[in-house]
Amino acid sequence: MSKPAHLFGPSHRLVICLGPGGVGKTTLSAALAMRGAIEGRAVDVMTVDPAPRLLDALGLDPREGEPQSVPLDGIAKAPGARLRAMKLDPKATFDALVARYARSAAARDAILANRIYRNLSGALAGVADYMAMEKLLELHDGGANDLIVLDTPPAREALDFLDAPRRLLDLLNSRALALLGASRELLRGLGIVDIAARAVLAAFDRIAGLHLLSDVQGFVRSFDGMFEGFAERAGRAQAILHGPGTLVVVVTTAEADRVAEARTFVESLHAAGMEIDAMVVNRMMPAMPALAQLERAKIPAELKRKLKRNWHDFAALKRRESISLEALRALLPGQAELIVAPDLGHEPRTLRDLAELARSLKTVQEKANRS
Amino acid sequence: MRPPRLIFITGKGGTGKSTLAAALATALSRRYRTTLADLDRRQSAARILGAKLDAAAPVRVSETLDVTALSPRAELEAFIQQIVPLKLISRRMLKSRTFGYVTAALPGLEAFLMLERLRALAGQAALDDAYVVIDAPATGTALELLSVARGVKGIAPFGTLNNLAREVESFLGDPNRFGVVLTLTPEELALREAVEAAAALADAGIATVAALVNAVPAALFEVGELAAASGLAEHATMAARRVEAGAGAARARQQLERGGLRVIELPMLFAPSLAAHEVSELARTLEAELIAE
Repeated sequence: MSKPAHLFGPSHRLVICLGPGGVGKTTLSAALAMRGAIEGRAVDVMTVDPAPRLLDALGLDPREGEPQSVPLDGIAKAPGARLRAMKLDPKATFDALVARYARSAAARDAILANRIYRNLSGALAGVADYMAMEKLLELHDGGANDLIVLDTPPAREALDFLDAPRRLLDLLNSRALALLGASRELLRGLGIVDIAARAVLAAFDRIAGLHLLSDVQGFVRSFDGMFEGFAERAGRAQAILHGPGTLVVVVTTAEADRVAEARTFVESLHAAGMEIDAMVVNRMMPAMPALAQLERAKIPAELKRKLKRNWHDFAALKRRESISLEALRALLPGQAELIVAPDLGHEPRTLRDLAELARSLKTVQEKANRS
Repeated sequence: MRPPRLIFITGKGGTGKSTLAAALATALSRRYRTTLADLDRRQSAARILGAKLDAAAPVRVSETLDVTALSPRAELEAFIQQIVPLKLISRRMLKSRTFGYVTAALPGLEAFLMLERLRALAGQAALDDAYVVIDAPATGTALELLSVARGVKGIAPFGTLNNLAREVESFLGDPNRFGVVLTLTPEELALREAVEAAAALADAGIATVAALVNAVPAALFEVGELAAASGLAEHATMAARRVEAGAGAARARQQLERGGLRVIELPMLFAPSLAAHEVSELARTLEAELIAE
């Protein structure tokens, strides 16, 4: 009922892995990159918040923000096979972006020291998403790869990531922020809503003892003139993501809760004009062995009884999993590939574990073949 | 000892956090008036209890159990309406897209208002001799939320907000009013996340009521017994998985107890679906371990 996963075609240049948190998305991104390397490609993979084990498996220095070569000794033998991995550091990436587009060293330092910016770059959820895009562009323009695999920050909805550049640009460029920094004369001609917004924030600022407004003013002024550079890069990243060379992969697991989450991903991608190319269902239990095998076995009766009980227990879990898998399959558009990744029973600890995971990705019976 | 008035449940994604929140609320509601408040946008805990949340109003699941949804957005709206009493303006303001970005300029405002709300819920529960169970987001987000008060104190050294932040902090640090329950499964990553979360909470002076090790399969095989099954390929592997999960649970217990945590194991439910019956079974365990005097 299954065959090796098809995944990347020759024209694919970028694989983007989307999905909720806790499904093993980062591990799967690394496994997909490994698979690309095994197929003979030069692959760069960017991970977001990888578990220490995965860093160990890849041999990555967690402090390093630039791509590091992963030694493939013996795992991927094809000529041209290469794997580089890196870990996203949103704060450092944002700082670098500011440094690139700041009009002067003084403007740069003013931004980096600004309280609003420090809160923005450290805490605002969209920043990590935007910076993942920025790194994507760097890797893409660097040109030293055939394939880029992009892990994304955990999200409840696919659009959280895809929309990030627009949201952040809107924020940086928003009238609201300008409004906060604006002088009284500039307020003339604004709508009542804007004035009320400003009044609320000003009141809050005063009552609360935050004294943020002057910081906002400084922030808006120092960012002046940088938006064009930011917007241009964000626009190009969007074009790449929506281009034909991009393989959109949603990672999930076969649990009842995840089905609802996966549905919102598929629906919001569709609404954004992007179709999902593959869904990888992670941590699938192995197929159930035949119960008859136990009947025939020459083992102590007590052990046989326990093994039967164990079989029935796991069969119930397997049924639960199958119900969810079917529900996931029903979400997929016609051309999309449904891929299962086995539960290794532990997190990948070595490169060989990762390669095993990469090799064991299987397509479950294509939708077109179903009656 | 009685549990705190407000119990905040968090854990790694996929550890059954929402199921256990539903079970704990069910267990508490057998003795006290209880509210399960869903802070997780997925609202799984509500769904597990068969409550369909759409409006802001709580849904009554039983005589003593209410389910409600909390959203940072609703807290913000309430706050704005306090400041701008003119409904026409406050409503239009909240609808304007730009306003969403404005709130981002006041770091952590929404999260902070949410903590304020939790403090009010716990206060009301103490008056009513009731309990509140919060199905919180996964560990990382939840810890960020809990640290917001400290951050607010930092950026607002004086004034109303600073005073509020102090009150929120003293609420979070009061084991009679606030406590965290961590969920995990007998797996390395989930254990690591729970241990790290417990350490971060201890640092912040927040009480951890218990760590719930979920999905622990009932022991079945004796030590060494499986050697005779080694010829049975997948059957042996499956049995080994069960044994490994049991051993993982024992390791988790040991490590968590070493950190001074109360550890409660919940059984793996070998059922094709998780429904009312299963939740009620988990509730029984929690009632016996956590609530009974």
